[in-house]
Amino acid sequence: MLTKIQSLTAEFLQALENTKNQKQLDDLRLVFLSRNGSIASLFEEMKKAPKEDKPVLGKELNCLRNLAEEKFNFKKTEFEELLTKKSQQIDLTLPCRKVEIGHKHLLTQTLDEIKSIFKGLGFSLFEGPELESDYYNFEALNFPADHPARDMQDTFFVNKNFLLRTHTSPVQVRLMEKLQPPLRAIMPGKVYRNEAISSRSHCMFHQVEGLCVDTDITFAELKGTLVAFTKQFYGKDLNYRFRPSFFPFTEPSAEMDITCFLCKGKGCRVCKHSGWLEILGCGMVDPNVFAYAKYDNEKYTGYAFGMGIERTAMLKYGITDIRTFFENDVRFLKQF
Amino acid sequence: MKISLNWLKEYIDLSDITVDEIVSKLTMSGLEVESVENQIEMFKNFIVGFVEDKEKHPNADKLSLCVITNGIEKLKVVCGAPNVAVGQKVVFAQIGAVIPKSGMKISKAKIRGIESNGMLCSESELGLSDDHSGIIVLDQSSKEGTSVSEALHLNDVLFEIGVTPNRADALSHIGVARDLAAIFQRELKLPKVSIPQSTKNINELASIEIVDVQNCPRYSVKVVLNVEIKESPDWLKRSLKAIGLRPINNIVDVTNFVLHEIGQPLHAFDLDKLAKQKIIVKKADADSLFTTLDGKERKLNENVLLICDGEKPVAVAGVMGGENSEVTSTTKNILIESAYFNPSNIRKTSKYLGLSTDASYRFERGTDPSNTVYAAERAAQLMTQLSGGEVVEGVIDIYPNHIFEKEISLRFNQVERVLGYTLPNESIKNILTSLGFEIKNISVAAITVLTPTFRPDVEREIDLIEEIARINSYDAIPTIAKIAIPIGEKVDESAFVDDLRNIAMGLGFNEILSIPMITEKAANIFGKPIGLLNPQGSEMGFLRTSLLASALSVVEKNINVGEKNLKLFEIGKVFLKVNDDLFTFSDFIEEERFLFLLSGKISEKEWYTGERDFDFYDLKAAVNECFQKKVLDNLLNDSYYQSGNKFFDYFFTKASGKTVFGTGGKVKKEVLKQFGIQQDVFCFEGSVELLKSITPKEKVFTGLLRFPKVMKDFGFIFGKDIPVKNVVSFIKKKGSSILKDVHPFDVFENESIGASNKSVAFSLSYFDAERTLTDEEVDKDFLSLIELVKKEFNAVLRGK
Repeated sequence: MLTKIQSLTAEFLQALENTKNQKQLDDLRLVFLSRNGSIASLFEEMKKAPKEDKPVLGKELNCLRNLAEEKFNFKKTEFEELLTKKSQQIDLTLPCRKVEIGHKHLLTQTLDEIKSIFKGLGFSLFEGPELESDYYNFEALNFPADHPARDMQDTFFVNKNFLLRTHTSPVQVRLMEKLQPPLRAIMPGKVYRNEAISSRSHCMFHQVEGLCVDTDITFAELKGTLVAFTKQFYGKDLNYRFRPSFFPFTEPSAEMDITCFLCKGKGCRVCKHSGWLEILGCGMVDPNVFAYAKYDNEKYTGYAFGMGIERTAMLKYGITDIRTFFENDVRFLKQF
Repeated sequence: MKISLNWLKEYIDLSDITVDEIVSKLTMSGLEVESVENQIEMFKNFIVGFVEDKEKHPNADKLSLCVITNGIEKLKVVCGAPNVAVGQKVVFAQIGAVIPKSGMKISKAKIRGIESNGMLCSESELGLSDDHSGIIVLDQSSKEGTSVSEALHLNDVLFEIGVTPNRADALSHIGVARDLAAIFQRELKLPKVSIPQSTKNINELASIEIVDVQNCPRYSVKVVLNVEIKESPDWLKRSLKAIGLRPINNIVDVTNFVLHEIGQPLHAFDLDKLAKQKIIVKKADADSLFTTLDGKERKLNENVLLICDGEKPVAVAGVMGGENSEVTSTTKNILIESAYFNPSNIRKTSKYLGLSTDASYRFERGTDPSNTVYAAERAAQLMTQLSGGEVVEGVIDIYPNHIFEKEISLRFNQVERVLGYTLPNESIKNILTSLGFEIKNISVAAITVLTPTFRPDVEREIDLIEEIARINSYDAIPTIAKIAIPIGEKVDESAFVDDLRNIAMGLGFNEILSIPMITEKAANIFGKPIGLLNPQGSEMGFLRTSLLASALSVVEKNINVGEKNLKLFEIGKVFLKVNDDLFTFSDFIEEERFLFLLSGKISEKEWYTGERDFDFYDLKAAVNECFQKKVLDNLLNDSYYQSGNKFFDYFFTKASGKTVFGTGGKVKKEVLKQFGIQQDVFCFEGSVELLKSITPKEKVFTGLLRFPKVMKDFGFIFGKDIPVKNVVSFIKKKGSSILKDVHPFDVFENESIGASNKSVAFSLSYFDAERTLTDEEVDKDFLSLIELVKKEFNAVLRGK
């Protein structure tokens, strides 16, 4: 009887070992573990065994049954897990489902960068109308009627009184009418010039105007502020220069150049072989403009500046045709 | 403006200063040198050659094969010029020379099978004139091998200077020399005028009358008699050619020379063609006609100032002379006009006639009223030297409207107040003196100067500060590293739209910036448009009345390049007329708008889904997500318009209370057709201003639900015409207080439920923030709702 138990144990373990799938496992259960299975028949057989052998045989048989059940359950779990694993297996290499974030226009992104630098320097931000009066666009900015300075900006007129603003500078005047110093503000927006559309110029572009008025503002502060901006925006290692220029609404006036970063100042097509790139116009607010704003010239001084966004973005991102910005080809929009 | 270095050197000693330094100093003091043309460098590889032999090219009829000596060796050169001949001295471009006109670099090359070792040049190829009829033949005294720069006196440096509109004084060689004199603190040498003068009395030969003294404050005249009209001498022709002018004859060339020397425009009249030898300065009659010396007949207006003789107009003052009084080869006697005209009048005339000349360019910027006599005398002196004529003694100088030198004071402390640094009073004095300012008075605190009349731009203390700043260089102004920023509220007027942009971007929309100038037809679709007086063509004649109007062009362009699936947004201005005539800002509206636009497919064929077109619900989703939840957090109400309007097949509006801030829907095919678009477009456009005017609900924390929710579903069959929104509102209204939300799902239509019906299921959520609900109270409400819905909408309950 003991031998039978031992051989059945071996037989069971061997059979279990050979079990390859759930079906075979079910068969195995029928053969060994069911009510009529071979283990159950051994329990029947034990009933006929001599009384003194029963405790030992019972112990051994129970051992066998426990072992068989444990091994069987283990195997069963194994098969089940295998089954779920298989059903859960996915092809990780399939392309992803489409989730697309949108893109802000590159000019907006460039403007955002400029805005954030000036905000850090304590500037507020104001806006003004695009359809502007002659008064704000020219007269109050010290452009006399019939003065050649007006030729600097080809203008789209709506009628004698109204025009599309040619620069963001009129917002300066509007701001000074509304607020008293101290003022430190940038004024971004669209501007329009009646220039032939080509790869280099467009009839619409964006500017950022700046204005700072207080009791102690000097050209030295203008230089310091714009140099700080330029280094943050274009890079620390750039060289720069301020060169005298003319704008009716500033006096003295200047243009700021930085070393051409394409040729490092050696001279190339982009900088017209000068080694310098003109990036903005600036100057001390002309006393005549303060007079229009009814600010006291003896009390206040101020500076103003203006820069084009398109040119800046073109230089920074290697765009050679300004029209690219306004064609709004989504292949362009999605690049940035 | 072109300025010649050789010419400049007549007025200032620059012998020890390099070209680079001159360029840099001029640029850094306000006269920006835009380009430099150094002739010695340009003509480095051009030498005098001697044509020793010439034979026909064996393979080409029109080419010759020449032997050229350069003083050292003999070289074979193929030449195509008809005038090349043995014994000539010619301009020989050696290997390595760069032809100025074409930029072509000369190298050894086979021309029709024969090797050529250089090129013989024409004036055109050297950029000296347009003459390309043949090669330049040099004077026999030129020595072969010497540089052409020397032989042709091409040893100049030419500066292209961009003069800003305020610097009228710098529009001449002496003007530029004056700045250089101040920069380098050197003497400015002005040409001295002393001429033998005849004893004839000028007043017997001519007379002047100024009728319009407002626009002609000064008119000066010199007379030169018995001139011989001929070609100008080489030095004069060279000077004019160097700065890009075409020599004409000795008299006209002198007037041009003096203009570019002194900056005073002159006009030479043929005195014998002036009726009654009289000059009258007066306004033209409206619509009168006049032929200028370029041969064009021009219609004048009553603002045009004319120079007339005793009978008729002879010149448009300050702009251009007339054909009828022009100097010709037979002219004997000359009247030189040297005047000062009102800048604004000349500018109006120049604009009106569409005619800008060297003279009008200077007059409209302001010439020097004190200089008229000097300039006339300088011209008379040169004319008599070059033409053999005699200068009549005296001038006729009518100056009824005297322009005086202005007195300006500069307080020394203001220099530091504006510039942030100061410089010694002595330096300030020196700079102003060398720029031509006369020092009237100087104290510890201030300096008072008389402003020369050639500086109409200098009128105030600040203008003197600028003069000092620019001559001392802006580099001298410190760049400070610390600034004081007032503590106070910072404003950001773009914050609202920046936020909107970020949300739109997060929702997958791409931002466009379209040009707001569109066609009248497109602008008319959406409102009363504003037109431009001077557009760049009718395609861009009107301002957009809607963002959609300009965005549809963008849609069309994208479809044309194959980008058909579009999810776009724009934030920008639209312009609408309120009244027909625009006098004030209230006669029109400029409004900032936002636009969301969908067209094409939301998804292409994918492994996980099929393709699907964008539809109304995609638009509604984006708009809701953007405004309802993010921007406003307010209860917004939608209204739906099934039957559409002028632009939309069907649409909806969004409002807060009574403020409707936007409209969106499916754009009508007829509208799209105008833009050549064939696929569906859904868009929502609204006003940023209105959106901003809505006060967002203040955010207050809502406690999180701690009791279970009970969900119940039911479905009904309704008539198709019953809007789901109405059923939802009805259920919400009729449900008890524990019913918190109703959400429609599983909407379908098919034959089995009848062609005019639809089936809609609703999911109802019940909860109470304070307690757990009982099944009984939920069921009671749920069952009563079933009956109410059935009755209200004539609906049939589905299932059970």
